[in-house]
Amino acid sequence: MTTDTSRTHTGRPDDEPPLFGPGSQFHAFFDDPRWALAIIRATVLEAAHPQIGAALADNSTFVAHPWRRLRNTLLSMRRMYSGDPAVREREAARLNRLHARMSGEDSRGRPYDAMDRATRAWVVATLFESAVTMCRLSGQPLDQDTMERMYAEYRAYLAALDGDAGELPESLQDFWGYFDRVVEDELENTEAARIILYRLFDHLPAPALLDGAPTLWAAGRAVVGPLLGAITVASLPEPYRRRAGLPEMPGTETLMRGAYLAAGLTRFLPRGWLDAENIIELLTLSPGGDDPRARTATVLRDRMKRASALLRLISPLGGAHGPGPVSGSAHEGRGPAEEFFHQVLDQTGDGHLDWPDLAAMARELSTRLDLEEPEESRLYDAFAAWWRELQDALDTDGDGRVSAAEYSAAVPSLAGPALIRVAEVLFDATDKDGNGTIDADEYRALFRTAFHRDPATTDSAYGRSAFVGDFVSFMSGGRTSSPYDPLFTDA
Amino acid sequence: MDGNGRWAQRRSLPRTAGHRAAEATVIEIIETARSAGVEWLTLYAFSTENWNRPGTEVDYLMGLVRRVVRKHAPLLLARGVRCRFLGVTDPRIPRELAQDFDDLTTLTDGNRGMTLTVAFDHGGRRDIVEAARSLIRSGRSADEVTEHLFAQHLPYPDTPDVDLVIRTSGEQRISNFMLWKVAYAEWTFPEVLWPDFRAPDFLACLHTYRRRDRRFGSLPPWTNGDSR
Repeated sequence: MTTDTSRTHTGRPDDEPPLFGPGSQFHAFFDDPRWALAIIRATVLEAAHPQIGAALADNSTFVAHPWRRLRNTLLSMRRMYSGDPAVREREAARLNRLHARMSGEDSRGRPYDAMDRATRAWVVATLFESAVTMCRLSGQPLDQDTMERMYAEYRAYLAALDGDAGELPESLQDFWGYFDRVVEDELENTEAARIILYRLFDHLPAPALLDGAPTLWAAGRAVVGPLLGAITVASLPEPYRRRAGLPEMPGTETLMRGAYLAAGLTRFLPRGWLDAENIIELLTLSPGGDDPRARTATVLRDRMKRASALLRLISPLGGAHGPGPVSGSAHEGRGPAEEFFHQVLDQTGDGHLDWPDLAAMARELSTRLDLEEPEESRLYDAFAAWWRELQDALDTDGDGRVSAAEYSAAVPSLAGPALIRVAEVLFDATDKDGNGTIDADEYRALFRTAFHRDPATTDSAYGRSAFVGDFVSFMSGGRTSSPYDPLFTDA
Repeated sequence: MDGNGRWAQRRSLPRTAGHRAAEATVIEIIETARSAGVEWLTLYAFSTENWNRPGTEVDYLMGLVRRVVRKHAPLLLARGVRCRFLGVTDPRIPRELAQDFDDLTTLTDGNRGMTLTVAFDHGGRRDIVEAARSLIRSGRSADEVTEHLFAQHLPYPDTPDVDLVIRTSGEQRISNFMLWKVAYAEWTFPEVLWPDFRAPDFLACLHTYRRRDRRFGSLPPWTNGDSR
């Protein structure tokens, strides 16, 4: 097993470009806007795999929190392709731990396991194939050598995760046969793929930066959402489109090619104009933080708010002048408890609270704090205990999960011992130096904002009991408090 | 802004016509005040007691205010007027109207020319009660409370004390208007009805105010023949 890894790492002469780190083909694509389209396409192909589709539908937070998910994925890929082998190994171990916690059954009762080797090879295969296809579609096909090198990079990526890349064919020639066979035989019209194609883009929540301008966001989304869906469908392999019964609309082929071509033309922009990481960082930057860029973000957001206020004010009045609170949307009728349920607790956005929701919280926290074993397991265990406590207290109809109605009926009785335990474990995990208080750096790691305690309490650090108290009252009562709010609600 | 109803009755028009005619005055007065150098202008549009008017009239007023706000929003923005709304807590206010108020506030928030406060669903006593609540919640001890501290808890604490109140149509009552802030205000009571109130009338009121001798409860700075 390990022989394969060592060969890919060491068996090359020094003058060839490295498989990882700057200079690799992956790095060349990283800031390429075409890559955004290609990633969406790859994600659909992944989700169309029944195993991955089931895992996504059950565990993933990408519907409710797509921007957070995107940021985490991007960071993870950066680390995986870092030039430093230690960073790579650490990230691979983290990813493996993360995926080892995901297994279950799909809606038809077939088991899935996020550690399944063949399935993981497919993820890497879709990424590679989408990168090749994106170059083809934008009229700049890769030559054979580049393609071979890129394939070696992606196999090395799989090897870094799995120990070896045995599940992917050795040579590029065999890869195409493998890819076509999976597309023909294994892909299905899964729910996850449908969600990505038809639901995600239509309901994409605004990233933190644009949160204050819902009107503007909704207007833009109404145009861009269906377009992205159509472009992605048109770029999928023909056999899959046929099997999944995806619509063939006249013009979408041209539209798709045009989009890829236009995205490819940005290569003529000056260097550094498009930096994927900066763009994502900026989008997920919530105004009010202490980042120097947050000031810009705040100003930008204020402008945006004003623009959308003006837009609303000058838009013609609807025919109905009927006064009175009539058009209360679904959001208006919600009490604070239900609001909290949807914004914080229901991480997967399926309208129910069950284990994947709490696991997603544990995952987000351990990602933020960059936890290693055994702290990570401790945090998951604490969340699991809390889930059992919640289930006992709230699941009145016994269907194994908690609905918003069940939740809001029982809110006051939620601060049980298991939740306090979660707070304590989280405190210990955040308090990296173990001195019994959370200092400024530790605070920033958890909340991503500046450290400021109420000066009235005179403490310059965040003590254990204060932290536990704040966390428990936030998680149980839905008391909105500024630092905790964005912890789980960031879209 | 009194006298819309009487203005309409004198012309044998429905009361609503009087409210409609008030729109022109509102815009003219805002413009006049701005060019006369007034920095803080407050219009008393709707009091907490006005909810007692007939339902149809209230409904009409809500619709009218909404149209006026939307119609003049770009103008107010362009003229550098910062708009905000005092009161606006009653659940009977249509949600769309409250949204428009919010939008106009957001839109003109950066303006520094003149601050226009529209008292809508406003009651001076309610503001004082709210301030008292907020003060108690802040947990200050009774001895600490001063006039200054109390004023900090009133809505829009940055608003200075009122200098001049103009009440049209000859009515001479306070009618629950900004009770805390009018403590030393000068009052004028022009006979003219609000829809007929025009720029010259407003400037005349300003002129009267300038000639007033504001002593704020103390003696005048000097008095003829008094050696002090």
